Amino acid sequence: MHDLVAVVVNALLAAGLYATMSYGLAVIYGVMRIINLAHAGILMLGAYVTLTLYDRFGLDPFLSLVIVAPLFFLLGVVLQRLLVRRLPSGGGTPSMESLLLLFGLWLVLQNLAYAVWGGDTQSILTNYTMRAVDLAGVRVGVPNLLVFAAGAVCLLWLQLVVKRTDLGRAMRAVTQNRDAAMLCGVDADRISAQAFGMGTALAGVAGGLLSTLYAFTPDFGRSFLLKAFCIIVLAGMESVVGVAAGAFILAILENALGAFTRIPTSFQDAVSFTLLVVALVAFPQGLPHAFLRMTRRRAALR
Amino acid sequence: MPSKPKSVSAPLLLAALCAFSGASPAGGAPEDQTIRIGAVLPVTGKESKIGSAYKQATEFAIREINDGGGIDLGARKFKVDLTLLDDTSDPAKSAQLVEQLITQKVHAVIGGYGSQLVQAQSVMPERYGVPFLAGGAGARSIYGRSKWVFGTLSPVDVLASTQMDFLDALVGAGRLRKPVKIALVTENTEHGKDYAQGVQDFIRAHPGEFVVALEESFELYTPDFKPLLSRVAGARADVLMADAHLEDYIAMHRAYTQMGLYHQMVTYGARGADAAARKALGSATDYVFASGWWSDLLPYPQVKAFNARWKSATGSDPQWYHATAYETVRALAAAIHKAGGLSPDAIRNGLATVELKDSILPGGVLKFSASGQAILPFVVTQNKPGDKVDIVWPKESKTGEAVGPIPRS
Amino acid sequence: MTGLRARLRPSVTVAAAGLLLLLAPRVFGRGILNDIWSVAFAVVLASSWNLLGGLAGQVSIGYSAFLGIGAYTTALLALRGMQPYATLPLAALLGAAFSFVVGLPTFRLRGPYFTIATIGVGEAVRVFAGGVAFTGGSSGIRMPPGSFDFGLNYASMVVLAVAVVTLAAWLRGSAFGAALAAIRQDIDAAEALGINATRYKVAVHALSAGLVAAAGSLFAINFQYISPGSVFDFRLSLSIVLMPILGGVGTVAGPVWGAIFFSYLQIKMLSVPALRDSYLFLYGTLLILIMLFEPKGLLGLWERLPRALRRPPKEASAA
Repeated sequence: MHDLVAVVVNALLAAGLYATMSYGLAVIYGVMRIINLAHAGILMLGAYVTLTLYDRFGLDPFLSLVIVAPLFFLLGVVLQRLLVRRLPSGGGTPSMESLLLLFGLWLVLQNLAYAVWGGDTQSILTNYTMRAVDLAGVRVGVPNLLVFAAGAVCLLWLQLVVKRTDLGRAMRAVTQNRDAAMLCGVDADRISAQAFGMGTALAGVAGGLLSTLYAFTPDFGRSFLLKAFCIIVLAGMESVVGVAAGAFILAILENALGAFTRIPTSFQDAVSFTLLVVALVAFPQGLPHAFLRMTRRRAALR
Repeated sequence: MPSKPKSVSAPLLLAALCAFSGASPAGGAPEDQTIRIGAVLPVTGKESKIGSAYKQATEFAIREINDGGGIDLGARKFKVDLTLLDDTSDPAKSAQLVEQLITQKVHAVIGGYGSQLVQAQSVMPERYGVPFLAGGAGARSIYGRSKWVFGTLSPVDVLASTQMDFLDALVGAGRLRKPVKIALVTENTEHGKDYAQGVQDFIRAHPGEFVVALEESFELYTPDFKPLLSRVAGARADVLMADAHLEDYIAMHRAYTQMGLYHQMVTYGARGADAAARKALGSATDYVFASGWWSDLLPYPQVKAFNARWKSATGSDPQWYHATAYETVRALAAAIHKAGGLSPDAIRNGLATVELKDSILPGGVLKFSASGQAILPFVVTQNKPGDKVDIVWPKESKTGEAVGPIPRS
Repeated sequence: MTGLRARLRPSVTVAAAGLLLLLAPRVFGRGILNDIWSVAFAVVLASSWNLLGGLAGQVSIGYSAFLGIGAYTTALLALRGMQPYATLPLAALLGAAFSFVVGLPTFRLRGPYFTIATIGVGEAVRVFAGGVAFTGGSSGIRMPPGSFDFGLNYASMVVLAVAVVTLAAWLRGSAFGAALAAIRQDIDAAEALGINATRYKVAVHALSAGLVAAAGSLFAINFQYISPGSVFDFRLSLSIVLMPILGGVGTVAGPVWGAIFFSYLQIKMLSVPALRDSYLFLYGTLLILIMLFEPKGLLGLWERLPRALRRPPKEASAA
């Protein structure tokens, strides 16, 4: 029984982390249909900026998120205006050009990081980094808990924006049908800029959170990027909660396989990728859509 | 639509290639003015941390040689001309770049860092008959295939068996009770496999003393070590022996500490006293023991001298990877000096017979075995509280006493 | 100009270029020949990918899986005593077979979903290959000694490149190619016209996968050592996509030019120590500039040139 509790608790914590690093990717993909390969570079940059704020000014990494978020929002808007919008397709339709453009951006960001911070492994050690607390009989690291909390805040904030604000409504409209939204008077271009800004801000924040857990180099971010793809596919397009759910499913699967089977943990990654393919094939519109369809069908039958 | 460009494609193509490639030297200059040495290292990419350190140390060593006038070939001293390229941690590119350096007529090649990269590279010296000295790969399987391939790093399985010797001594002193249960967790690379092999071989040779309670491998840069560590906890072992890259060491040991795990002895293979690990883990690294190819605590005068020179040039203490890269260059220079000439065979024979008697590596003497790989002793270091490190094995090099079992906090 | 004549003209050009390249060893040294080999290898990958990605419009970022399958098949069979070049047909077949495994479930997906699925498959294969014992795991595999012959190695890659480009030209002008073009432009309309889109996609996928696997075999023979890191890398999959797009996706010459430009530039940039620290920056900036200003790639630039030279710069209409 304790094992089950441990698996659930660890999965929840891991899910919080996975979800947080996926929100940025999901927002940009949802609104602009762009596969943002530079997401990994932004994660890395977020980690380095947090590190610099910590080393130079002694600013606690969690508190510095207050600076990181708006800073990266601005960065995102600038990048969208400078680069993404200039794409011949206008950045509104899915295209290989945007994918490669952002890949190029990722490389430039890596070089920037090598030039400014060097290739050495960096990490942040605060006085609470190594501490742990007891949660339902499971020992949980303090930074992991804080990251989960920060992730929950992100989720709530995103839900608020998406469901309750005009911006959110406009974003949802553009996500569903860009042309129709424009016909309704939505300035899709401006929405794209703000969405890209939000996505970049979320990625920067995620990077900052990751820096409290892991050691990193400019090459950091690649493995997280691929996991994040998994998750946004499971999540479908319009649902932020879907991202959280997708992250949880992935995390539970990984932890359960580790705890209850003899499958070597080196195959952990293969699990997530296989899950991705299965999910895409079985639920091409994402889980929430499938879930909704199932519940609607049940309602209709009544 | 496409036919137009294509009709001019072929001659254009060849012309372009001529223009570009013609720039490289056609063949060795009749009178070599300098000694040309090529090196291909992972300065960026997955192995960039140590790759860039190797670059720094290699350039440092070459500078020292050139400041002293160069390598003495009898008639006069020749300066060394180093061409150092970045393979971005890609094995295929690594091999290609080595091949390119060879066709540009370097006299010798210094290999890279990382077993996969060096394996790929080592095909080229055999193909072209050029002396090759790798400073960054301990995998046995690379050596012994070609007379042209040499390596400074001793095999990883010897690293493992040195650690087992150390644990064996603790058993003999009554500090650990046999049979000692070991949780063996290694990264899924050649390094990790050789390490696990070394441990298993030792156990087989000393029946009744050790038993493996758990053997697992993990992928590099595993994001979440909890599943693995849960299994480790479940195995209820006495000793944790892990082999990991620096980033994984940090991630794993953080999770280990947070989960409140305890073992009587803990090692992460070659990691342990790394400065970056101390920075990331603080006091959680206390009492972790490690076995490395070098330690700045080695009680040889040449080591102290090296430490001083490095510190004054770079402002920080040398780590093991700086030392091994540095010594690789020195070994090659000594071999060329011994050869007295620059022909491939001469340099190759120089490498086969060179003996560096003031080596900074453990044992104090660097020479290459019949397979081309140097087989040198390892030292075991243990972290002590207050940011201190001690060499605890072998007895001749000891700077402090081993602490085992680790005190429970 | 349709029909046989249209399909023959580019093929003759390519054959002529191939012949010239085969004669190159008499004139040039190993350095240049190695560069030509790398370029030819890139041409095979780019042109093969273009069959599915450019002609049929299905973008897959998982092609390193096929390269790896070809390489590992050849290496494992060679270690069991088979003549390396004799393993090529089997390697190609296995590559094509694996493309069925990948394609059948994923071809249901449209556009970016398909792309993401291919990323997942590529990564899963990489992790699997690194974790399983019979592939040598993460240590990789060494080819048996004595299996390398420079002349044969060089010639086989040049021949493969010529064959792939000729095939691409042939396909493009054929009815099969027309069906693929229809699928790329509007898959529903194509199906309405009676084209079984899935069957065509699967067929061209198998063809291009087989060719890439063959290239993988030659890769193994050339480098004599393969490891999951060298053949199953995500960066490799990305560069396979990059080359045709850089050169001009969907055309026959585009992937060739993209491959030449990209692979040559990459090796040369890495070979110049002065550029070493800014290699990523240059590569990245180049990509950004090309995507922003000429997404049709090098061929697009080429097309614009006569127009730009003839008329005053005010003329800014897009092609």
